[in-house]
Amino acid sequence: MAAAKRGTFFSGAALVWQWQRLVWWIFAVCLIFGLFSTHEMTERASSLLDHSAAAQRLVNGFDASAIIMLQQLPDSPLEIQGHNIVHFSLLFVVFMLFVTGGILASYALDEKPTTTAFFEAAGHHFWRFFRLLIYLAIVLLPIAGLAALTSAMYTRVQEQSISPYPADHFAEAAAVVILLLLIIVRLWFDMAQVIAVVEDEKKMHRALRRAFGLLRRNFFSLFWLYLRVSIIAWALFAFGLYFWMFRLSPQSNVTAFLLSQLMILIWLGTRLWQRASESLWYRNYQANQVSAPAWTPPPAPMYMPAAAEPQP
Amino acid sequence: MRLTKVFVLAAALAISCGPIFSQTTATSAAADTSTKPLSTRVVAYQIEAKLDPTKHTIAASETLTYKNLTGQPQQTFPFHLYLNAFQPQSTFMTEVRLAGTRGNGPDSEWDPKHFGSITVDKLEVEGAGDLTNKMEFIHPDDKNSEDRTVFQVTLPKPIAPGASVEFRVVFHDVLPKVVERTGYAHDFDMVGQWFPKVGVWWKNAWNCHQFHATTEFFADFGTFDVKITVPQNEIVGAGGDLVSSTNNSDGTTTLTYHSEDVHDFSWTASPSFTVVEDSWTGSQGPVKIHLLMSPGHMASAPRYMKALKGSLYFFDQWYGPYPYDRITVVDPPHGGIDAGGMEYPTLITAGTSVHMPQGLLEPEFVTEHEFGHQYWYGMVATNEFEEAWLDEGINSYTEVKVMDAIYGHETSFLNFPFAHLGETEEQRFSYLGLPDMDPVARLAWKFISSDSYGDITYGKSATMLITLEKVIGEDTMRQALHTYFMRYRFTHPTSEDFLKTIEEVSGKDLRWYFNQAVYGTQVLDYSLADAHSDPLKWWDPPAHGSKTSEKVELYRTYVTVERKGDFTFPVDLQIKFDDGSTALEHWDGLDRWIRYQYDRKAKIESAQIDAHNQITMDRNPFNNSFVAMPDPRAAHKLRNIWVFASEWLSQLLAWLT
Repeated sequence: MAAAKRGTFFSGAALVWQWQRLVWWIFAVCLIFGLFSTHEMTERASSLLDHSAAAQRLVNGFDASAIIMLQQLPDSPLEIQGHNIVHFSLLFVVFMLFVTGGILASYALDEKPTTTAFFEAAGHHFWRFFRLLIYLAIVLLPIAGLAALTSAMYTRVQEQSISPYPADHFAEAAAVVILLLLIIVRLWFDMAQVIAVVEDEKKMHRALRRAFGLLRRNFFSLFWLYLRVSIIAWALFAFGLYFWMFRLSPQSNVTAFLLSQLMILIWLGTRLWQRASESLWYRNYQANQVSAPAWTPPPAPMYMPAAAEPQP
Repeated sequence: MRLTKVFVLAAALAISCGPIFSQTTATSAAADTSTKPLSTRVVAYQIEAKLDPTKHTIAASETLTYKNLTGQPQQTFPFHLYLNAFQPQSTFMTEVRLAGTRGNGPDSEWDPKHFGSITVDKLEVEGAGDLTNKMEFIHPDDKNSEDRTVFQVTLPKPIAPGASVEFRVVFHDVLPKVVERTGYAHDFDMVGQWFPKVGVWWKNAWNCHQFHATTEFFADFGTFDVKITVPQNEIVGAGGDLVSSTNNSDGTTTLTYHSEDVHDFSWTASPSFTVVEDSWTGSQGPVKIHLLMSPGHMASAPRYMKALKGSLYFFDQWYGPYPYDRITVVDPPHGGIDAGGMEYPTLITAGTSVHMPQGLLEPEFVTEHEFGHQYWYGMVATNEFEEAWLDEGINSYTEVKVMDAIYGHETSFLNFPFAHLGETEEQRFSYLGLPDMDPVARLAWKFISSDSYGDITYGKSATMLITLEKVIGEDTMRQALHTYFMRYRFTHPTSEDFLKTIEEVSGKDLRWYFNQAVYGTQVLDYSLADAHSDPLKWWDPPAHGSKTSEKVELYRTYVTVERKGDFTFPVDLQIKFDDGSTALEHWDGLDRWIRYQYDRKAKIESAQIDAHNQITMDRNPFNNSFVAMPDPRAAHKLRNIWVFASEWLSQLLAWLT
């Protein structure tokens, strides 16, 4: 198997590349939602700025004062922005919840997904994944509690030393720990989703239990798999942001747009890379389970039938 | 005092900051530094204080000699006890709960760690004996009988005009955990507004307000001789000259400070300070600079120093001489930032953090602002309770001028490669946050909220002075401030004193402006409502096969300007046509709108109100112009950013699925 030779990490990337139609499609939906969410703002900004000489302050650089000035206008085009963005983002969450079944079916079954098969899988798993989302919310509660606890501890550490460094280091360490915990939780739930799709597992608590067992037994390899992809995603995102802010000419609207979309595309692609890698990992795991010599119970000992008792 | 951690960075800092702002030529003003007092000295305080740095308490005794210069006999004397504001039933806390204050929003919860108090254990008056029992808390501003920030005492007999009276007070302070400029954080103690301070006889009455959520202070000039006893490991900074230092047998040190021609005395102590010393020479001779830096903040020391030296230089050049021989900058530690950004005579508190970005000029503008208060509060000692704009507003205006001069007009607040912001705009934003709820000239505790107080007192005042500068000219404005400073330093001028000085120096009647900008709540917003060109013979269809522009030679152009706000202001209008010709109009701005009409062989290219961006009070600069050729790039840039933000949020939330 080619995937096995390359390793799950690279094979996952190859799988995303192979079914790149999925990435483009989801990206397009995300972009359309983004454009919809900002449409009203753009219209109002256009009517205010297109014929205004003061708009050149925005054209020729990111003039913070111009942005703040816009924000402070009584009929600011930016005032409607927040609500719209949140609404369309939530819509995108629902969309992703729906298509995840189709995505995983494509990755896990290693077959070219037809549109019908994709949406059948998506619809088939939608409510299962919705239940998983509820389980996820429950699992995230202790992490939220941990975050609150570290916040309280941060205040205590801050009060204990006049040097700002101990509290800063504590906050940084706590943030890293919480981030890693979140990656682990996502890894666990992603595995449960893969099991649900591959095994057609209806009971999500059972899928979670099995995923937890797998994760426990193969923690380091799976975690390292996810962490590597995450690091690549963060690094590329940071680089993109740096390039946008520090290197790109302020007048380069088109380039800025393309760069920003590339960043979103990479972010989306790396997330699917994680899912594809985990699906592949599970396929390999299953294959290993099948190819291993099956355990057969030892033959039952043969006994001579008990001698018949003498009959009277 | 044992300065265990003194690092003198004078050489390095002198290289980085010195040559820019040094001035060695002493002017004739140096003669003022003779023995003749700079101020009318009404009070003479002698205070002995002992700090317990573990409990953050101070045991002290005070002898106040008050000289009756009121011109009439005085029998009743009011005193401030500011530290009693930090109690849940005080007027201060009641107002914080209602409308917020700096660092605390409305509905703030009471934190017992913020409890502070000042208790007078004994009050004696020379010749009248113990009058402790005669002390009576009063509430001149409200009916809050629980407020104990002002008391008065009535003497058995009046003090004749020109005579003096000596009060001897034994008191003790409990410092709060840092709140409203004062208190402790870790081993840092900021001791401000800490002793019983007599009110001011002003406008033929005692002026001694309670401590409010938004008010600052007001006091008479005089002398201070203060002995501070602290453990020997403490590093102390104070608003006075260090006269002597004596180590005591109990492991403490007693430091004696003297200060004159000031109206307050504050000090700070911490064993964790790192001291940076330097000096600057101005028109009145050398000024010693002390920076008291908290742990983790040393990277900000050169930034403080550059801002301070720049401020000393430009104030000395523009507004008048700095007559004191010292200035101390206190950098509060993390967790003590509420002690930052405060002014006391010859001692200011700044503010920074361990990760302060170079492009955010917060340490710089806070230092500049608080130094500016040496002039607008310290020397020109206006009533901060009643006319806060005279110190905060004028000071915010001079902050803009000085910061722009040091750091550049466009980059004096934010200076990142990807974003910048000047001080002028920053003050505008502050103003536009809440522009029309309160006038500039309003009692500080009468604003609708602490936000309105801040936006108007700082932001609007500065913005309206910047606009005024455009009306009368920058040099005239500078001359007016110089005249105001030289005329009213070491006195208690009023708003009218300031406004009349500007009118006098500029030679203009500016009442129309002051009535709206200072005493009114009107908002200024002129808009280019319409601008377009029409063929004069619009009914005449274009000939077949020819373009309209080839056939029609004469156009009628209309330009309509509208006054959207209630603030009236004369505006200039500049119109450009596509043949390169221009038209200039001047409108008095009184009517609601005006329409101009032009018949030319050219179409309009652009029209602009206030082409040189002089009316900084205008609420919306985007509607001040019309450009015929639309340019969608600004809107596209905004859309790019927000689409990205929207997609990014979508991706983050989708992580849950």
